[in-house]
Amino acid sequence: MIGYRPGHSLLHRAHPYTPLAVAAALLCLVFAARAPGPVFVLAGAAIMLALAGGSLGYVVRPALTLALPTWVLLLVLHGLLGPDPHHMVGPFSVSAPGLTRALVLGGRITAILFAFLGVLAAVSPARLVEAMTEREVPFGAMYLLVSTLTLVPRLRARAAQILEAQQCRGLKLGGSPVARVRALGPLVLPLVLGALMEVDEQVLALDTRGASSAAARTALEPPGDTTAEWVLRMLCVVWVLAAWSARLLQLLEPLRARLLTLL
Amino acid sequence: MSAVLRFADASFRYAGEQTPALAALDFEVAAGEIVALTGAPGSGTSTLLLVAGGYAPRLVGGTLSGLVELAARAPAIVFATPWTQLTGLCHTVFAEVAFGPCSHGLPAGRIREIVTRQLERLDAGHLAERDPATLSGGELQRVIVASALALEPDLLLLDDPAAELDPAAADALYDLLKEVAREGAAILVATPDIDRAARSATRGIRLDAGRVIADGPASEVLA
Repeated sequence: MIGYRPGHSLLHRAHPYTPLAVAAALLCLVFAARAPGPVFVLAGAAIMLALAGGSLGYVVRPALTLALPTWVLLLVLHGLLGPDPHHMVGPFSVSAPGLTRALVLGGRITAILFAFLGVLAAVSPARLVEAMTEREVPFGAMYLLVSTLTLVPRLRARAAQILEAQQCRGLKLGGSPVARVRALGPLVLPLVLGALMEVDEQVLALDTRGASSAAARTALEPPGDTTAEWVLRMLCVVWVLAAWSARLLQLLEPLRARLLTLL
Repeated sequence: MSAVLRFADASFRYAGEQTPALAALDFEVAAGEIVALTGAPGSGTSTLLLVAGGYAPRLVGGTLSGLVELAARAPAIVFATPWTQLTGLCHTVFAEVAFGPCSHGLPAGRIREIVTRQLERLDAGHLAERDPATLSGGELQRVIVASALALEPDLLLLDDPAAELDPAAADALYDLLKEVAREGAAILVATPDIDRAARSATRGIRLDAGRVIADGPASEVLA
Protein backbone atom coordinates (compact mmCIF):
# COMPACT_ATOMS: atom_id res chain seq x y z
CA MET A 1 0.00 0.00 0.00
CA ILE A 2 1.12 3.58 -0.61
CA GLY A 3 0.25 6.48 1.68
CA TYR A 4 0.01 7.44 5.32
CA ARG A 5 -1.00 4.86 7.90
CA PRO A 6 -1.67 6.06 11.48
CA GLY A 7 0.59 4.61 14.17
CA HIS A 8 2.78 5.34 17.17
CA SER A 9 6.20 4.33 15.88
CA LEU A 10 9.42 6.28 16.27
CA LEU A 11 8.90 7.95 12.90
CA HIS A 12 5.25 8.75 13.66
CA ARG A 13 6.31 10.53 16.85
CA ALA A 14 9.27 12.36 15.30
CA HIS A 15 9.06 15.87 13.91
CA PRO A 16 7.92 15.38 10.26
CA TYR A 17 11.08 17.04 8.95
CA THR A 18 13.29 14.38 10.54
CA PRO A 19 12.16 11.28 8.60
CA LEU A 20 11.95 13.36 5.45
CA ALA A 21 15.51 14.60 6.00
CA VAL A 22 16.78 11.05 6.58
CA ALA A 23 14.99 9.77 3.44
CA ALA A 24 16.30 12.71 1.38
CA ALA A 25 19.82 12.07 2.73
CA LEU A 26 19.57 8.38 1.77
CA LEU A 27 18.50 9.43 -1.72
CA CYS A 28 21.49 11.76 -2.10
CA LEU A 29 23.94 9.28 -0.59
CA VAL A 30 22.79 6.36 -2.71
CA PHE A 31 23.52 8.41 -5.84
CA ALA A 32 26.93 9.40 -4.51
CA ALA A 33 27.84 5.73 -3.92
CA ARG A 34 29.36 3.90 -6.91
CA ALA A 35 30.05 0.40 -5.64
CA PRO A 36 27.47 -2.32 -4.83
CA GLY A 37 28.69 -2.64 -1.20
CA PRO A 38 27.88 0.92 -0.02
CA VAL A 39 24.68 0.94 -2.08
CA PHE A 40 23.48 -2.25 -0.37
CA VAL A 41 24.36 -0.81 3.04
CA LEU A 42 22.23 2.24 2.21
CA ALA A 43 19.42 0.02 0.91
CA GLY A 44 19.61 -1.83 4.24
CA ALA A 45 19.40 1.52 6.04
CA ALA A 46 16.30 2.37 3.99
CA ILE A 47 14.69 -0.91 5.01
CA MET A 48 15.58 -0.15 8.64
CA LEU A 49 13.95 3.26 8.23
CA ALA A 50 10.73 1.61 7.04
CA LEU A 51 11.03 -0.77 10.00
CA ALA A 52 11.44 2.18 12.40
CA GLY A 53 8.22 3.57 10.96
CA GLY A 54 6.44 0.31 11.77
CA SER A 55 5.48 0.11 8.13
CA LEU A 56 7.83 -2.51 6.67
CA GLY A 57 4.99 -5.00 6.19
CA TYR A 58 2.85 -2.26 4.73
CA VAL A 59 5.40 -1.02 2.17
CA VAL A 60 7.16 -4.25 1.28
CA ARG A 61 4.57 -5.27 -1.32
CA PRO A 62 4.47 -2.01 -3.35
CA ALA A 63 8.25 -1.64 -2.98
CA LEU A 64 8.93 -5.13 -4.31
CA THR A 65 6.22 -4.83 -6.97
CA LEU A 66 8.09 -1.83 -8.33
CA ALA A 67 11.64 -3.02 -7.60
CA LEU A 68 11.57 -6.65 -8.79
CA PRO A 69 10.71 -6.03 -12.47
CA THR A 70 13.35 -3.29 -12.48
CA TRP A 71 15.91 -5.73 -11.04
CA VAL A 72 15.10 -8.30 -13.72
CA LEU A 73 15.38 -5.68 -16.46
CA LEU A 74 18.68 -4.33 -15.11
CA LEU A 75 20.22 -7.78 -14.72
CA VAL A 76 19.28 -8.73 -18.27
CA LEU A 77 20.30 -5.42 -19.85
CA HIS A 78 23.53 -4.86 -17.95
CA GLY A 79 24.40 -8.33 -16.64
CA LEU A 80 23.82 -10.34 -19.81
CA LEU A 81 24.07 -7.75 -22.56
CA GLY A 82 26.63 -5.48 -20.85
CA PRO A 83 30.20 -4.70 -21.95
CA ASP A 84 33.14 -7.13 -21.88
CA PRO A 85 34.71 -9.01 -20.16
CA HIS A 86 32.07 -11.78 -20.02
CA HIS A 87 32.29 -14.92 -17.87
CA MET A 88 30.29 -18.08 -18.24
CA VAL A 89 28.03 -18.69 -15.24
CA GLY A 90 26.18 -21.91 -15.99
CA PRO A 91 24.56 -21.46 -19.40
CA PHE A 92 24.82 -17.65 -19.19
CA SER A 93 27.56 -15.34 -20.45
CA VAL A 94 27.65 -12.70 -17.73
CA SER A 95 29.27 -9.29 -18.08
CA ALA A 96 31.21 -8.51 -14.87
CA PRO A 97 31.14 -4.67 -15.19
CA GLY A 98 27.51 -4.85 -16.39
CA LEU A 99 26.55 -6.98 -13.39
CA THR A 100 28.21 -4.47 -11.04
CA ARG A 101 26.31 -1.66 -12.71
CA ALA A 102 23.02 -3.58 -12.44
CA LEU A 103 23.65 -4.22 -8.72
CA VAL A 104 24.37 -0.53 -8.11
CA LEU A 105 21.32 0.67 -10.04
CA GLY A 106 19.01 -1.97 -8.55
CA GLY A 107 20.31 -1.21 -5.06
CA ARG A 108 19.68 2.50 -5.57
CA ILE A 109 16.10 1.92 -6.71
CA THR A 110 15.43 -0.45 -3.81
CA ALA A 111 16.84 2.06 -1.31
CA ILE A 112 14.76 4.92 -2.71
CA LEU A 113 11.56 2.87 -2.77
CA PHE A 114 11.87 1.60 0.80
CA ALA A 115 12.98 4.97 2.18
CA PHE A 116 10.22 7.00 0.57
CA LEU A 117 7.37 4.51 0.88
CA GLY A 118 8.37 3.97 4.52
CA VAL A 119 8.45 7.69 5.26
CA LEU A 120 5.24 8.28 3.31
CA ALA A 121 3.54 5.69 5.51
CA ALA A 122 4.80 7.25 8.75
CA VAL A 123 4.65 11.01 8.17
CA SER A 124 1.17 12.37 8.77
CA PRO A 125 0.34 14.95 6.07
CA ALA A 126 -1.63 16.92 8.68
CA ARG A 127 1.42 17.13 11.00
CA LEU A 128 3.60 18.04 8.05
CA VAL A 129 1.23 20.91 7.21
CA GLU A 130 1.42 22.11 10.81
CA ALA A 131 5.22 21.85 10.82
CA MET A 132 5.51 23.78 7.56
CA THR A 133 2.97 26.36 8.73
CA GLU A 134 5.01 26.92 11.88
CA ARG A 135 8.16 27.48 9.77
CA GLU A 136 6.19 29.90 7.56
CA VAL A 137 6.61 27.89 4.37
CA PRO A 138 4.58 29.64 1.61
CA PHE A 139 1.13 28.09 1.26
CA GLY A 140 1.59 27.28 -2.45
CA ALA A 141 4.74 25.23 -1.80
CA MET A 142 3.13 23.51 1.16
CA TYR A 143 0.01 22.63 -0.81
CA LEU A 144 2.06 21.31 -3.71
CA LEU A 145 4.12 19.03 -1.48
CA VAL A 146 1.29 17.71 0.67
CA SER A 147 -1.14 17.18 -2.21
CA THR A 148 1.60 15.23 -4.01
CA LEU A 149 2.19 13.06 -0.95
CA THR A 150 -1.53 12.32 -0.64
CA LEU A 151 -2.19 11.94 -4.36
CA VAL A 152 -2.04 8.15 -4.53
CA PRO A 153 -4.49 7.43 -1.68
CA ARG A 154 -6.91 10.07 -2.98
CA LEU A 155 -6.80 8.71 -6.53
CA ARG A 156 -7.20 5.16 -5.23
CA ALA A 157 -10.29 6.12 -3.22
CA ARG A 158 -11.78 7.92 -6.21
CA ALA A 159 -10.98 4.99 -8.53
CA ALA A 160 -12.74 2.62 -6.13
CA GLN A 161 -15.85 4.84 -6.15
CA ILE A 162 -15.86 5.07 -9.95
CA LEU A 163 -15.35 1.33 -10.25
CA GLU A 164 -18.30 0.63 -7.95
CA ALA A 165 -20.48 3.06 -9.89
CA GLN A 166 -19.50 1.57 -13.24
CA GLN A 167 -20.06 -1.98 -11.96
CA CYS A 168 -23.56 -0.92 -10.89
CA ARG A 169 -24.09 0.10 -14.53
CA GLY A 170 -23.01 -3.30 -15.77
CA LEU A 171 -19.24 -2.96 -16.22
CA LYS A 172 -17.61 -6.43 -16.18
CA LEU A 173 -14.10 -6.49 -14.74
CA GLY A 174 -13.10 -10.12 -15.25
CA GLY A 175 -12.57 -12.11 -18.42
CA SER A 176 -9.87 -12.04 -21.05
CA PRO A 177 -6.94 -9.58 -21.03
CA VAL A 178 -8.64 -7.71 -23.90
CA ALA A 179 -11.83 -7.36 -21.86
CA ARG A 180 -9.82 -6.14 -18.89
CA VAL A 181 -8.06 -3.52 -21.01
CA ARG A 182 -11.46 -2.44 -22.40
CA ALA A 183 -12.74 -2.03 -18.83
CA LEU A 184 -9.96 0.51 -18.18
CA GLY A 185 -11.67 3.13 -20.37
CA PRO A 186 -14.73 3.67 -18.16
CA LEU A 187 -12.38 3.88 -15.17
CA VAL A 188 -9.54 6.07 -16.42
CA LEU A 189 -11.57 8.72 -18.25
CA PRO A 190 -13.82 9.68 -15.32
CA LEU A 191 -10.80 9.43 -13.00
CA VAL A 192 -8.75 11.93 -15.02
CA LEU A 193 -11.65 14.25 -15.86
CA GLY A 194 -12.90 14.15 -12.28
CA ALA A 195 -9.42 15.01 -10.97
CA LEU A 196 -9.17 17.97 -13.37
CA MET A 197 -12.61 19.27 -12.39
CA GLU A 198 -11.73 18.82 -8.74
CA VAL A 199 -8.70 21.06 -9.18
CA ASP A 200 -10.94 23.91 -10.39
CA GLU A 201 -13.34 23.47 -7.51
CA GLN A 202 -10.57 23.11 -4.99
CA VAL A 203 -9.00 26.39 -6.10
CA LEU A 204 -12.32 28.05 -5.31
CA ALA A 205 -12.66 26.17 -2.03
CA LEU A 206 -9.16 27.12 -0.88
CA ASP A 207 -9.58 30.74 -1.95
CA THR A 208 -12.88 31.09 -0.11
CA ARG A 209 -11.14 29.82 3.01
CA GLY A 210 -8.41 32.43 2.86
CA ALA A 211 -5.61 30.37 1.32
CA SER A 212 -4.46 33.41 -0.65
CA SER A 213 -4.50 35.64 2.44
CA ALA A 214 -1.34 37.66 2.99
CA ALA A 215 -1.46 37.01 6.74
CA ALA A 216 0.97 34.54 8.32
CA ARG A 217 -0.95 31.29 8.86
CA THR A 218 -1.49 30.08 12.40
CA ALA A 219 -0.16 26.64 13.27
CA LEU A 220 -2.83 25.20 15.54
CA GLU A 221 -0.88 22.20 16.84
CA PRO A 222 2.73 22.44 15.68
CA PRO A 223 4.60 19.15 16.20
CA GLY A 224 7.28 19.16 18.86
CA ASP A 225 10.93 19.27 17.82
CA THR A 226 13.96 18.27 19.90
CA THR A 227 17.62 19.25 19.82
CA ALA A 228 18.54 15.62 19.09
CA GLU A 229 16.33 15.62 16.00
CA TRP A 230 17.76 18.95 14.87
CA VAL A 231 21.28 17.55 15.28
CA LEU A 232 20.30 14.42 13.31
CA ARG A 233 18.96 16.56 10.46
CA MET A 234 22.13 18.63 10.43
CA LEU A 235 24.22 15.45 10.42
CA CYS A 236 22.25 14.30 7.36
CA VAL A 237 23.14 17.55 5.60
CA VAL A 238 26.82 17.30 6.57
CA TRP A 239 27.01 13.64 5.54
CA VAL A 240 25.46 14.38 2.14
CA LEU A 241 27.78 17.34 1.56
CA ALA A 242 30.82 15.25 2.53
CA ALA A 243 29.80 12.31 0.32
CA TRP A 244 29.13 14.49 -2.69
CA SER A 245 32.32 16.49 -2.17
CA ALA A 246 34.28 13.23 -2.23
CA ARG A 247 32.36 12.12 -5.31
CA LEU A 248 33.07 15.39 -7.12
CA LEU A 249 36.75 15.15 -6.25
CA GLN A 250 36.75 11.63 -7.75
CA LEU A 251 35.07 12.92 -10.89
CA LEU A 252 37.54 15.78 -11.18
CA GLU A 253 40.57 13.56 -10.59
CA PRO A 254 41.27 12.84 -14.32
CA LEU A 255 41.00 16.55 -15.05
CA ARG A 256 43.43 17.38 -12.22
CA ALA A 257 45.88 14.73 -13.44
CA ARG A 258 45.67 16.14 -16.95
CA LEU A 259 46.23 19.68 -15.73
CA LEU A 260 49.27 18.54 -13.74
CA THR A 261 50.67 16.84 -16.86
CA LEU A 262 50.18 20.01 -18.90
CA LEU A 263 51.85 22.15 -16.24
CA MET B 1 -28.65 49.46 7.25
CA SER B 2 -25.55 49.97 5.09
CA ALA B 3 -25.16 48.10 1.77
CA VAL B 4 -22.71 45.22 1.98
CA LEU B 5 -23.09 44.43 -1.69
CA ARG B 6 -24.26 46.56 -4.60
CA PHE B 7 -24.83 45.67 -8.23
CA ALA B 8 -25.26 48.55 -10.69
CA ASP B 9 -26.07 47.53 -14.25
CA ALA B 10 -23.79 44.54 -13.79
CA SER B 11 -23.52 41.78 -16.40
CA PHE B 12 -21.34 38.70 -16.49
CA ARG B 13 -20.43 36.41 -19.36
CA TYR B 14 -18.49 33.15 -19.05
CA ALA B 15 -15.46 32.80 -21.33
CA GLY B 16 -16.44 31.52 -24.79
CA GLU B 17 -20.17 32.13 -24.21
CA GLN B 18 -22.21 34.52 -26.35
CA THR B 19 -25.14 34.85 -23.95
CA PRO B 20 -24.49 36.58 -20.62
CA ALA B 21 -25.05 34.43 -17.55
CA LEU B 22 -26.12 37.56 -15.67
CA ALA B 23 -27.50 40.74 -17.24
CA ALA B 24 -28.32 44.24 -16.03
CA LEU B 25 -28.31 43.44 -12.31
CA ASP B 26 -29.28 46.43 -10.23
CA PHE B 27 -29.83 45.85 -6.53
CA GLU B 28 -28.27 46.17 -3.09
CA VAL B 29 -28.00 43.82 -0.14
CA ALA B 30 -27.82 45.34 3.32
CA ALA B 31 -26.31 43.94 6.52
CA GLY B 32 -28.77 41.76 8.39
CA GLU B 33 -30.82 40.88 5.31
CA ILE B 34 -31.52 37.32 4.20
CA VAL B 35 -32.10 37.35 0.47
CA ALA B 36 -33.42 34.17 -1.16
CA LEU B 37 -32.41 33.79 -4.80
CA THR B 38 -34.65 31.58 -6.86
CA GLY B 39 -35.09 30.68 -10.47
CA ALA B 40 -35.21 27.74 -12.81
CA PRO B 41 -32.01 25.69 -13.23
CA GLY B 42 -29.58 27.72 -15.35
CA SER B 43 -31.20 31.02 -14.41
CA GLY B 44 -27.92 32.30 -12.97
CA THR B 45 -28.37 32.04 -9.20
CA SER B 46 -25.07 30.16 -8.64
CA THR B 47 -23.20 32.52 -10.96
CA LEU B 48 -24.63 35.49 -9.08
CA LEU B 49 -23.14 34.12 -5.86
CA LEU B 50 -19.73 33.72 -7.52
CA VAL B 51 -19.82 37.30 -8.79
CA ALA B 52 -21.14 38.63 -5.47
CA GLY B 53 -18.27 37.05 -3.57
CA GLY B 54 -15.67 38.36 -6.00
CA TYR B 55 -14.78 34.84 -7.23
CA ALA B 56 -15.97 35.50 -10.78
CA PRO B 57 -14.32 36.55 -12.97
CA ARG B 58 -11.19 36.55 -10.70
CA LEU B 59 -10.98 32.77 -10.35
CA VAL B 60 -13.41 31.32 -12.87
CA GLY B 61 -12.64 33.62 -15.79
CA GLY B 62 -15.20 35.44 -17.93
CA THR B 63 -16.06 39.11 -18.37
CA LEU B 64 -17.78 41.38 -15.92
CA SER B 65 -19.24 44.72 -16.92
CA GLY B 66 -21.02 47.36 -14.87
CA LEU B 67 -20.39 47.82 -11.18
CA VAL B 68 -20.20 45.23 -8.41
CA GLU B 69 -19.33 46.94 -5.16
CA LEU B 70 -18.37 44.52 -2.43
CA ALA B 71 -18.14 46.38 0.85
CA ALA B 72 -18.00 43.18 2.87
CA ARG B 73 -14.80 42.74 4.86
CA ALA B 74 -15.06 38.96 4.96
CA PRO B 75 -17.32 37.20 2.45
CA ALA B 76 -17.73 33.42 2.67
CA ILE B 77 -19.37 31.04 0.25
CA VAL B 78 -20.79 27.53 0.49
CA PHE B 79 -21.26 25.61 -2.75
CA ALA B 80 -23.88 22.96 -3.43
CA THR B 81 -21.40 20.08 -3.47
CA PRO B 82 -19.74 19.85 -0.05
CA TRP B 83 -17.25 17.11 -1.02
CA THR B 84 -15.48 19.44 -3.45
CA GLN B 85 -14.99 22.05 -0.76
CA LEU B 86 -12.65 20.11 1.46
CA THR B 87 -9.19 21.60 1.56
CA GLY B 88 -7.55 18.19 1.19
CA LEU B 89 -4.97 19.24 3.77
CA CYS B 90 -6.83 18.46 6.99
CA HIS B 91 -7.35 15.07 8.55
CA THR B 92 -9.87 16.08 11.20
CA VAL B 93 -13.10 18.02 10.99
CA PHE B 94 -11.76 20.41 13.64
CA ALA B 95 -8.71 21.24 11.49
CA GLU B 96 -10.92 21.57 8.41
CA VAL B 97 -13.16 24.15 10.09
CA ALA B 98 -10.08 25.88 11.54
CA PHE B 99 -8.45 26.18 8.12
CA GLY B 100 -10.04 29.57 7.32
CA PRO B 101 -9.27 31.30 10.63
CA CYS B 102 -5.73 29.82 10.50
CA SER B 103 -5.30 31.34 7.02
CA HIS B 104 -6.11 34.74 8.45
CA GLY B 105 -3.54 34.32 11.22
CA LEU B 106 -5.88 34.51 14.20
CA PRO B 107 -4.38 33.43 17.54
CA ALA B 108 -4.66 29.68 18.19
CA GLY B 109 -6.80 30.10 21.32
CA ARG B 110 -9.30 32.30 19.50
CA ILE B 111 -9.43 29.82 16.60
CA ARG B 112 -10.28 26.97 18.98
CA GLU B 113 -13.12 29.04 20.48
CA ILE B 114 -14.52 29.92 17.05
CA VAL B 115 -14.32 26.36 15.70
CA THR B 116 -15.90 24.82 18.80
CA ARG B 117 -18.74 27.36 18.70
CA GLN B 118 -19.47 26.93 15.00
CA LEU B 119 -19.38 23.13 15.18
CA GLU B 120 -21.82 23.24 18.12
CA ARG B 121 -24.12 25.59 16.22
CA LEU B 122 -24.25 23.11 13.35
CA ASP B 123 -24.74 20.19 15.74
CA ALA B 124 -21.43 18.79 14.54
CA GLY B 125 -19.36 19.01 17.73
CA HIS B 126 -19.25 15.20 17.97
CA LEU B 127 -17.61 15.04 14.53
CA ALA B 128 -14.59 17.16 15.53
CA GLU B 129 -12.05 14.34 15.53
CA ARG B 130 -13.45 12.50 12.49
CA ASP B 131 -11.66 12.43 9.15
CA PRO B 132 -13.70 14.69 6.82
CA ALA B 133 -13.31 12.14 4.03
CA THR B 134 -15.37 9.62 6.03
CA LEU B 135 -18.41 11.84 6.66
CA SER B 136 -21.83 11.37 5.10
CA GLY B 137 -23.16 14.02 2.71
CA GLY B 138 -25.31 15.63 5.41
CA GLU B 139 -22.50 15.67 7.98
CA LEU B 140 -20.13 17.12 5.43
CA GLN B 141 -22.62 19.82 4.44
CA ARG B 142 -22.85 20.91 8.09
CA VAL B 143 -19.08 20.91 8.43
CA ILE B 144 -18.69 23.06 5.32
CA VAL B 145 -21.28 25.56 6.57
CA ALA B 146 -19.42 25.61 9.92
CA SER B 147 -16.19 26.26 8.00
CA ALA B 148 -17.79 29.25 6.28
CA LEU B 149 -19.20 30.59 9.56
CA ALA B 150 -15.78 30.16 11.20
CA LEU B 151 -14.58 32.95 8.92
CA GLU B 152 -17.04 35.21 10.80
CA PRO B 153 -18.37 36.52 7.48
CA ASP B 154 -20.26 39.76 7.08
CA LEU B 155 -21.56 38.44 3.74
CA LEU B 156 -22.56 34.79 3.61
CA LEU B 157 -23.30 33.27 0.21
CA LEU B 158 -24.98 29.87 0.15
CA ASP B 159 -25.75 27.75 -2.90
CA ASP B 160 -28.46 25.25 -2.08
CA PRO B 161 -27.03 24.70 1.42
CA ALA B 162 -29.63 22.11 2.43
CA ALA B 163 -29.22 19.88 -0.63
CA GLU B 164 -27.59 17.09 1.39
CA LEU B 165 -29.53 17.61 4.63
CA ASP B 166 -32.49 15.72 6.05
CA PRO B 167 -35.63 17.83 6.71
CA ALA B 168 -34.88 18.40 10.41
CA ALA B 169 -31.28 19.47 9.72
CA ALA B 170 -32.47 21.70 6.87
CA ASP B 171 -34.97 23.41 9.20
CA ALA B 172 -32.21 23.87 11.79
CA LEU B 173 -29.91 25.37 9.16
CA TYR B 174 -32.48 27.92 8.02
CA ASP B 175 -33.15 28.84 11.67
CA LEU B 176 -29.42 29.30 12.14
CA LEU B 177 -29.32 31.65 9.13
CA LYS B 178 -31.79 33.94 10.92
CA GLU B 179 -29.48 33.95 13.95
CA VAL B 180 -26.44 34.75 11.78
CA ALA B 181 -28.34 37.60 10.10
CA ARG B 182 -29.35 38.98 13.50
CA GLU B 183 -25.64 39.10 14.34
CA GLY B 184 -25.23 41.50 11.41
CA ALA B 185 -24.25 39.38 8.40
CA ALA B 186 -25.92 39.82 5.03
CA ILE B 187 -26.98 36.48 3.57
CA LEU B 188 -27.70 35.50 -0.02
CA VAL B 189 -29.05 32.01 -0.37
CA ALA B 190 -29.71 30.42 -3.74
CA THR B 191 -32.20 27.64 -3.25
CA PRO B 192 -34.98 25.67 -4.89
CA ASP B 193 -36.38 25.06 -1.38
CA ILE B 194 -38.96 27.86 -1.60
CA ASP B 195 -40.91 26.88 1.53
CA ARG B 196 -37.97 27.00 3.91
CA ALA B 197 -36.51 30.08 2.22
CA ALA B 198 -39.87 31.88 2.52
CA ARG B 199 -39.93 31.20 6.27
CA SER B 200 -36.40 32.58 6.84
CA ALA B 201 -35.69 35.16 4.16
CA THR B 202 -36.54 38.82 4.53
CA ARG B 203 -36.44 39.36 0.80
CA GLY B 204 -36.69 37.34 -2.39
CA ILE B 205 -35.13 37.80 -5.80
CA ARG B 206 -36.28 35.74 -8.75
CA LEU B 207 -33.98 35.35 -11.76
CA ASP B 208 -34.76 34.29 -15.29
CA ALA B 209 -32.00 33.88 -17.87
CA GLY B 210 -29.66 35.94 -15.69
CA ARG B 211 -32.05 38.86 -15.24
CA VAL B 212 -33.94 39.90 -12.11
CA ILE B 213 -37.64 39.47 -12.82
CA ALA B 214 -38.88 40.01 -9.27
CA ASP B 215 -37.37 41.65 -6.21
CA GLY B 216 -39.35 42.26 -3.04
CA PRO B 217 -40.49 40.85 0.28
CA ALA B 218 -39.89 37.10 0.48
CA SER B 219 -43.55 36.46 1.24
CA GLU B 220 -44.49 37.97 -2.13
CA VAL B 221 -41.64 36.90 -4.41
CA LEU B 222 -41.45 33.34 -3.13
CA ALA B 223 -45.21 32.81 -2.88
